[in-house]
Amino acid sequence: MNDNILDINHLHVRFETFDGVFSAVNDVSLTLGHNESIGIIGESGCGKSTLSFAVMRYLANNASVDGSIRFKGEELLEKSEKEMEAFRGNRIAMVFQNPYSSLNPALTIGFQLDEVGIHHQKLSKQKARQATLEALGMMNIGDPQGIVRRYPHQVSGGIQQRICIAMAILCRPDLMILDEPTTALDVTTEAVILDSIKELREKLSMSLMYISHDMGVINKVAEHVVVMYNGEIVERGPKNQIFENPTHPYTRALINCMPRGGVVKENTKLNTIPGYVRRRGALESGCPFVDRCEKRNDTCESKYGIREVGERHFAACDRAYATDVPDILKEKLVPRPRTTSLALNSHKELLKIENLHKVYGARRKVYAVNGIDVTVHPESVIGVVGESGCGKSTTGHMVSGLYKPTKGTIMFDGTDISIAWNKRSKDTLKKIQLIFQNPGRSLNPSHTVEQIIARPMKRLANMHDATERRQRIVDMLKKVDLGKEYLEKKPRQLSGGEQQRVAIARALSISPDLIVCDEPTSALDVSVQASVLNLLNDLQLETHAAYMFISHDLNVINYLSDYIMVMYAGKICEYGKRDEVMAPPFHPYTEALLSAMPEVDPTKQKDVIEITGQLPDPAKKPKGCPFAGRCHKQVGEICEREYPPMVRLSDTHYYNCHIKTMVE
Amino acid sequence: MKYVLYQLKKHPLAIVGIIIIIFWLIAAFFGPSMVPFTHTQMDSEHQMVGPGTNGHVLGTDSLGRDLLARIVYGSRSILTVALMTSIVSTIIGVLLGFSAGYFGGRIDAAFLRSMDILMAIPPLVLSMVVLGILGDSSILSLTLIVSIAFVPATARVSRGVLLTEKSQEYVSAARIRGENHLYIMFVEILPNTTGPIIVEATARFAYSIMMVASLGFLGVGMQPPTPDWGMMVIENKPIIAQAPGAVLFPALAIASLVIAISIFSDFVSKVLIHER
Repeated sequence: MNDNILDINHLHVRFETFDGVFSAVNDVSLTLGHNESIGIIGESGCGKSTLSFAVMRYLANNASVDGSIRFKGEELLEKSEKEMEAFRGNRIAMVFQNPYSSLNPALTIGFQLDEVGIHHQKLSKQKARQATLEALGMMNIGDPQGIVRRYPHQVSGGIQQRICIAMAILCRPDLMILDEPTTALDVTTEAVILDSIKELREKLSMSLMYISHDMGVINKVAEHVVVMYNGEIVERGPKNQIFENPTHPYTRALINCMPRGGVVKENTKLNTIPGYVRRRGALESGCPFVDRCEKRNDTCESKYGIREVGERHFAACDRAYATDVPDILKEKLVPRPRTTSLALNSHKELLKIENLHKVYGARRKVYAVNGIDVTVHPESVIGVVGESGCGKSTTGHMVSGLYKPTKGTIMFDGTDISIAWNKRSKDTLKKIQLIFQNPGRSLNPSHTVEQIIARPMKRLANMHDATERRQRIVDMLKKVDLGKEYLEKKPRQLSGGEQQRVAIARALSISPDLIVCDEPTSALDVSVQASVLNLLNDLQLETHAAYMFISHDLNVINYLSDYIMVMYAGKICEYGKRDEVMAPPFHPYTEALLSAMPEVDPTKQKDVIEITGQLPDPAKKPKGCPFAGRCHKQVGEICEREYPPMVRLSDTHYYNCHIKTMVE
Repeated sequence: MKYVLYQLKKHPLAIVGIIIIIFWLIAAFFGPSMVPFTHTQMDSEHQMVGPGTNGHVLGTDSLGRDLLARIVYGSRSILTVALMTSIVSTIIGVLLGFSAGYFGGRIDAAFLRSMDILMAIPPLVLSMVVLGILGDSSILSLTLIVSIAFVPATARVSRGVLLTEKSQEYVSAARIRGENHLYIMFVEILPNTTGPIIVEATARFAYSIMMVASLGFLGVGMQPPTPDWGMMVIENKPIIAQAPGAVLFPALAIASLVIAISIFSDFVSKVLIHER
């Protein structure tokens, strides 16, 4: 019985706050065997992190914990702070979401890693350094000797996270807890890290507890999946069971609302989960998901419990025993028919960018955008995709006027707008709107929703009649599925999805021609992301505004865009209509991006093209192909030397690569 | 409001602070009419007496003036000056700090250097010199001078909070809406910085009481016959052996008020910062 690494039994974690006691983890029981890996999934606010912090006994002092957590048979909840020290970092290690804040910026990486060995295993300095180098080597970090002398800010985010994992495995822990370790990283880096985690587990035979909101990531690293909702486990079981035969409505909804590869807006409307995660009082019983569930009935409100539905597969739903057909998985909502009047194939140009450059800084230059030429057609959606630091946001910000281009022109509807906001005419400002990534930050926290939406109308659309304006605001709110009662609310009182809806309403309230969407769904949960994407799609059909949709998520881009532009290091790699870009022949970078996207469907396994290395130094003017250093299809020395020529594949589709030309 | 009560429950010390502040406010408003003596009235038969003699609750000083009356009258002037100082220095500080932080570049550099110069002179010395030159220590000039001495601190705090808010996306959103600078500074940013600014203002309130008392002690504060706590301490120092209360009570008054306001200021910062 006791070869289990972790036994959690009826764990409750409650927080006492000003608004009363609420329960963050409610009656959670799970076991984790030796060398097993378990993935915990759920939306934000579902208690995933609280659960892991409870295992580490890292909870804030207003928390009260009940139940039992046994680690190799030892009861962790009864240990004193002093005794816990022997577990933390030594036998149970944890890796956090943000590597930058988990490393001390004032100490060298080597020093911080050595400390672990010296403190926990009482190693001598030399031995500790040896262990450090070994751990770094295990994480496939090139040149460990060099890395140990550096400071955290001198290495990239991906390397930082690998260092954190190396630190975690230094003492060969029995259990490693990873709390969204790749959420802040690019997909390409994520793919590499997930692979090395897999390798490590085989090598060190340790147990893993992997927390993520991303089904695709869980699919890659975990054998068992635990689905949490509002502090409770709603379903758990082997990965394949959960993904192929989910029984709990929440699991189904969660799997369904991911925009998966190949799903496009013309034929699918994304599934959503209405509502949001409600804070749960300590005394509430019944199914936590009841208020968002489509299939609820009277018994849901009353007591319920988790029961076995298959081999090692448990679910907490009445319907779990009804063995209703898993066909619901395939059930898709019908999209709104697209009007053919969209001038997609027109040669009209709404926005024409020519040879656009942006260089930041005066003394230490950062070349953010290095010569972009692109045209945006009216009423179309152009998706801009690339890793962080590729200049996609800078491009969007220059179009919307936050920055002035260093060189090149932006023509909008016949006028030159390569100037900053303070020189633009009211009309231009009105016609181009920007939706920001983080709605919590882009809405003024001390203004009400009404003030927020009313201001651009007053300022740019000359709507000075208060009653007329209010009527229009109510209409706008209705369009983004918010009621009249939101007028007086402040952003703080809204959930992330609602905030982003208000931001969308603000942008649309003055009928712009072009909306620059800068990662509008990246800060949101998948279920909310789906509903915001649906909304953006519907509103585009209605208002005929063009979108410039910036995202790092190729699935999202694929879903919403008519045209796709793939950027790398301030240059365009590939541009074309969506179907052209998403089908071979690919630019090697597009291919790598596509392969790095975690697959949600466990039956489909694909070979990941690992691109290692880092983005080229943005402080140097690039010479040759910017992707050459990381390219898996490099043709030869020419890649480093010469900027690749444009290869035209059709009227609308081209990429910049040496491959085609070399083959001929 | 409910939240404030909840916080009060968690920080019982704050209640003590608030009670002391309320006590002094009542003393300043109604005290003079409740004390049977005025602050200039001399009781030539009872000089330097201890507490409780002939109706002098706290005793008298070397001229036979009632100490309680003088402390109560003194609270009026000191609270007025301190309150006005904290308001004036906060307003000037916000205006200066906001414009420097908002426009940045040369304006900011010029601002920082001039604040450095002002800060290089200790506020007490600065006020002493200016008051000495002016030779006039009315409530108004005292307020103005102490305010100016405090401006570097309030301006730096305002500049700091503005800088963190300035990088927020709602400011960018306002810019690409073509809003003018004044609107962005005072309608968009100011409401989100009230917390730290109010905390700084209450802290300044405590500092200015210290400052006014010190100036009084050094002889450049409020001029007689206006009673001043600091001045009372120094003018009664020679009789400390005969009537220790004449020094002790005004000193206690200063200490209690300063500590109470500091506690209150801590509490305000807890409530306001938590709220965000």
